[in-house]
Amino acid sequence: MYIVLAAGAVIYCCLMLAWRRPPVRGWIPRVMSRERLREAGLIIALVALALCGVALATNANPWPAVVAVPATGLLIACAPPSARKLIPVALVALGLLGLLLAWSYSAWATGPGPESGTLNPRGEAWRYALLLQSCAFLGAGLWLSWRQARGPALADRRPALADREPRRPRWGLLLPLVAAVLCLLVDQQAATHGGWAAAVVVTAFGLLILVLVPAVAADLAATGLIVLGLLSFLDVITPPRAPTAALAVKPGGPPWPVFPAADRPLVLVAALQCAAVLALGAWLVPRTIGAHAKVLLGREDAELAGRVEQLTQTRADAVDTAAAELRRVERDLHDGAQARLVALGMNLRTAERLIPTSPQAAIALVAEARETSAKALTELRNLVRGVYPPVLADRGLADAVRALALDAPVRTETDIDLPGRLEPPVESACYFAVAEALANAVKHSGARLVQIRIRYSAAPRSARLPAVSPAAGVLRIEVTDDGVGGADPARGTGLQGVERRLGTFDGILAVSSPPGGPTMIIMEVPCALSWPRTSSC
Amino acid sequence: MRAVVAEDLFLLRDGLVRLLEAHGFEVAAAVDGAPGLLHALLEHRPDVAIVDVRLPPTFTDDGLRAALEARRQVPGLPVLVLSQYVEQLYARELLADQAGGVGYLLKDRVFNDDQFIDAIRAVAGGGTVMDPEVVAKLLGRRARDEPITRLTAREREVLELMAEGRSNSAIAQRLFISEKAVGKHSTSIFAKLDLAPSTDDNRRVLAVLAFLNT
Repeated sequence: MYIVLAAGAVIYCCLMLAWRRPPVRGWIPRVMSRERLREAGLIIALVALALCGVALATNANPWPAVVAVPATGLLIACAPPSARKLIPVALVALGLLGLLLAWSYSAWATGPGPESGTLNPRGEAWRYALLLQSCAFLGAGLWLSWRQARGPALADRRPALADREPRRPRWGLLLPLVAAVLCLLVDQQAATHGGWAAAVVVTAFGLLILVLVPAVAADLAATGLIVLGLLSFLDVITPPRAPTAALAVKPGGPPWPVFPAADRPLVLVAALQCAAVLALGAWLVPRTIGAHAKVLLGREDAELAGRVEQLTQTRADAVDTAAAELRRVERDLHDGAQARLVALGMNLRTAERLIPTSPQAAIALVAEARETSAKALTELRNLVRGVYPPVLADRGLADAVRALALDAPVRTETDIDLPGRLEPPVESACYFAVAEALANAVKHSGARLVQIRIRYSAAPRSARLPAVSPAAGVLRIEVTDDGVGGADPARGTGLQGVERRLGTFDGILAVSSPPGGPTMIIMEVPCALSWPRTSSC
Repeated sequence: MRAVVAEDLFLLRDGLVRLLEAHGFEVAAAVDGAPGLLHALLEHRPDVAIVDVRLPPTFTDDGLRAALEARRQVPGLPVLVLSQYVEQLYARELLADQAGGVGYLLKDRVFNDDQFIDAIRAVAGGGTVMDPEVVAKLLGRRARDEPITRLTAREREVLELMAEGRSNSAIAQRLFISEKAVGKHSTSIFAKLDLAPSTDDNRRVLAVLAFLNT
């Protein structure tokens, strides 16, 4: 039976390695990448081999393999990237240890003792199994190290926010308990019915959980390892259920089982492997169950902490931006309209004095005063436009962007579909973002056509947007031009300013601008449409 | 000539009424909000309405909306819209019905009362008066576009003044050419903008529209 299990594991492993394309598109691959599936398959096979070794050594039933195979697979598939970095190291260490023991076993077995000189055939088979298994561990460890040295799998390069699991209800805390009960049940089943039905059930259950809730699967894996390690340990140090002559507690002897001397190293290996499994489980518990429990109990929330940090940063940016804007308005008023009004007053005062003596000169001064007042008005108008464009206040983002496109010196096409109006601050930020993108296209790209596309989708589509954002939807703005390209947000302050400004609203900005063009600027802002548009036009 | 004035600032409204009365207009109603404006326009059917874009109750573009609504119910009702700022978008909306009799000027233009009164009379007569700022923006933007590129520099000057609502004689005076020459330029502009022959006034409106809608 163990040989069947081991053969199955090897075949599974080979299948995984030869697997070029996932047969079920869009289902399993959504949770695990092909690379991760392959790794998981390999590790499952190796652990199955290892546990078969343990089972052989202790002459126990096959339940360790039955439980450990899916549990370890889940563990490998779901462990965070930082945890998976240690797996190759552990594998290499286990492999070396196994090799050392397999080598010393022959020395022990042939050394002096009750059965010295006679190599028991069962022990010989164990030795080969141990050798094979250790080599497999070593090979797997080295292969994984090489893969990790080559760089992380593409699936691990996702932005951090995408990895965050949404909050689960608190009854999720019961899952480890369920897992422990399940392990014991499987143990019971395996003892009475040979374990095959249980193996199928556990594997199916494990895969289902893995696909549906990877985080819970990781918790289960950690729990499974702990329970498995403890039970294996008990099995190793207590007599087997079907006592053989060699291992039976002899009447009149000590109350603990006496192993034949030739078997002692193997028992030691089995115990060490149990310890390794236990250690792995213990190491994982605070990283899976512990972390999730903390989140569920509300003691610590990494996502919230990150959010607080992000909000602190964007708030500081917003305050800076607002202060800079106020300074600009103050300076413009001081140097522009205010100065002109002073000049106006002086001219009028002079004209007042000149009226009795030289009316002609007074008339000229009054005409000049009128011109000055017109200039002051123009400046105030431009200033107001820069602070909050009147058309934006009147009509909202869609018409304001259309007005912007009409005023642009380059042919600008708009494709805007907004079923309502945005909150005024978001509207303003988006308007100035489009204005900046358009100004860049006009100034730097030499474009002949600029296209602006604005859409609103009711549910947040992008995984890059934080899950805790209360927004009901996402506003997506695309500004595309057919110019020379080569725009780099890192070099210009304009796009950086836009990014900061949008960041206040959890918005993001992406620039695609290969040399030779075209340039595409994409902005996404989570926001709600506040009230329906009332325009009759 | 009967006029309706809509302006929410009392001083400006009062000033406008006095200015109009000084030039022989009869002010049928002077209102301070959009609902009152629509009511006054539909009740009095004035020869011309002078409307501020930003009016109560929402202080956004209520005045413009009321004027557009009145023109929808009374096609061709002459409306001169005044604003602290000009937007091509609003100009297009005013011109969209192609009925003529619309004006869109910055409030600053009130300073020059002669020109302002001329503009009011042009609008009342079914003409189109666009603020020089709108026209300048249009010419700047359309510099690369067809069919404006087909116009000569002089023809563009004529079109510019035409869009500002000036008569042929005013254009002739301004450009120091004869009225006959202005007529020739106009015919050439209409031909280049592919405007079918019709009454001169209508074609002038369409020429401005051609600008805005290309």
